[in-house]
Amino acid sequence: MDRRTLVLLFLLLVSSSLGSSSSSSPDIRVLSAERRIDLTSSIVRVFLTLKVENVGASQASDVLLAFPPTDAEHLAILKASTAEGKRKKKIYVPLSVNPTELPDTPNGAHLFSISLRNPLKTGEAAVLEVLYIITHCLEPFPAEISQSETQFVYYHDSAMLLSPYHVMEQITYIKTPSNKVESYTRVDPTNRAGTELRYGLYHDLPPFSYSPIIVHFENNNPFAVVEELVREVEISHWGNLQVREYYKLKHAGARHKGVFSRVEYQSRPSISGVSSFKHLLARLPPRVHSVYYRDEIGNISSSHLRIGSQKSELEIEPRYPLFGGWKATFVIGYGLPLQDFLFKSPDGKHYLNFSFGCPLLETVVDELTIKVVLPEGSKNPSSAVPFPVNQQLETTYAYLDVVGRTTMVLKKRNIVPEHNIPFQVYYDFNPIFMLAEPLMLVSAVFLFFVACIAYLHIDLSIRKS
Amino acid sequence: MAPKPISSPVPVAWYPSLAVLMLSIGLLVTASFFIYEATSSRRNRSLSKEIVTGAMASIFLGFGSLFLLLATGVYV
Repeated sequence: MDRRTLVLLFLLLVSSSLGSSSSSSPDIRVLSAERRIDLTSSIVRVFLTLKVENVGASQASDVLLAFPPTDAEHLAILKASTAEGKRKKKIYVPLSVNPTELPDTPNGAHLFSISLRNPLKTGEAAVLEVLYIITHCLEPFPAEISQSETQFVYYHDSAMLLSPYHVMEQITYIKTPSNKVESYTRVDPTNRAGTELRYGLYHDLPPFSYSPIIVHFENNNPFAVVEELVREVEISHWGNLQVREYYKLKHAGARHKGVFSRVEYQSRPSISGVSSFKHLLARLPPRVHSVYYRDEIGNISSSHLRIGSQKSELEIEPRYPLFGGWKATFVIGYGLPLQDFLFKSPDGKHYLNFSFGCPLLETVVDELTIKVVLPEGSKNPSSAVPFPVNQQLETTYAYLDVVGRTTMVLKKRNIVPEHNIPFQVYYDFNPIFMLAEPLMLVSAVFLFFVACIAYLHIDLSIRKS
Repeated sequence: MAPKPISSPVPVAWYPSLAVLMLSIGLLVTASFFIYEATSSRRNRSLSKEIVTGAMASIFLGFGSLFLLLATGVYV
């Protein structure tokens, strides 16, 4: 009897100690959390300010963020930073964020851990700024609209911040594009003023508290989605960088139903087809030349190019205005001066410094492929991209190629405009290989002359002269 | 040492004039090659002179056509 109770007690002790050691979450609590959700475009941007405090006995070096599975699936960017310095000398230092797993997360919540620069000691607090961007999460409702209707979308979220920690104080602001909000879930205290919805302040929330909300509002912004974008960057050491971009564009908003009347669309643009879009703006580098915009039929003449000293802007109009569910395929190509993008690093390697992402403004790219075609004869290619990408090598053939050009292929899914940051491709190249093409031409012509000489020296006559 | 921008060995703006110049020199030398072939008899033709003229013409025509390709936007 005594022994049995002892064993039971021992087991209880072990299990309780195991439980407390395995879940590190109660060591940290969130003193205050402020969330600002920007719903003004088709891409959802969330700015989160967290004030975390270490209440545990040991040091804490990581802070966890939790996301519901649907959000984690569509998460395009997650960035965290912390402010250092005071007042005017304040700078934001980026922190590394990595996905992690914990055994006891409810309902498949995905966790990301932010590594702090200086571990938090007991009783210390830190302020973290987090930005995350979610795509494809505004659901059009009604899912089909006619030409004269405006587009309404649903936004699903939680009134409370999903967090593995105890949250002391929490507030959420949701910014809608206009003050036309059809309905929104009330989780008191909830307040709406103009284009802003406020959820909170909520006090003393237990870990993983979740209260689903739905906001139904008007959003007529272009839901431009590039389903597939292939960018080919061809380097020529003879002074040019040739870029070709193959787009498969789609309007991902509410599907168009019924007929399309061009007359109505043209004559009453303010009420007809407000959710459609007919032109897009691409931001290209300065000093761009020989720009073309075409598709399988041929040149599309409705485009305008403005060249500036800082950037060039290319305004393109597809052949028809895009309504919900409609697609357009086209190609944009341009040349760029080599000296703006190709450099030689001190260790003798050549590198290309080019912008990742899609040049179209406010556009989501589902699948982006960048092919960097290196000049013939280049060796040891390697890439430096600031975020994880799939990369592979292949060989492509262009004019006057014999062995083919080494091509670095970079692939990434779910690209937002915030991915437009420079990346580098390094390679070794001996400039003597530049002479391969002219020597090939020279030897071809020389072979012709040799053939002429040989023909004139051979005696083809039957009779002796 | 900071990264050094890389530019083409020949300024890009020279490509059209280089193409015209080298192609015309090349065609002139080709013409002189064929004039020599047609006017001299088989017995007093010198092989070395033929080969030198042919090589000269092919160098000018080869580089001329390269610069023509580059000037028209076919960057090889």
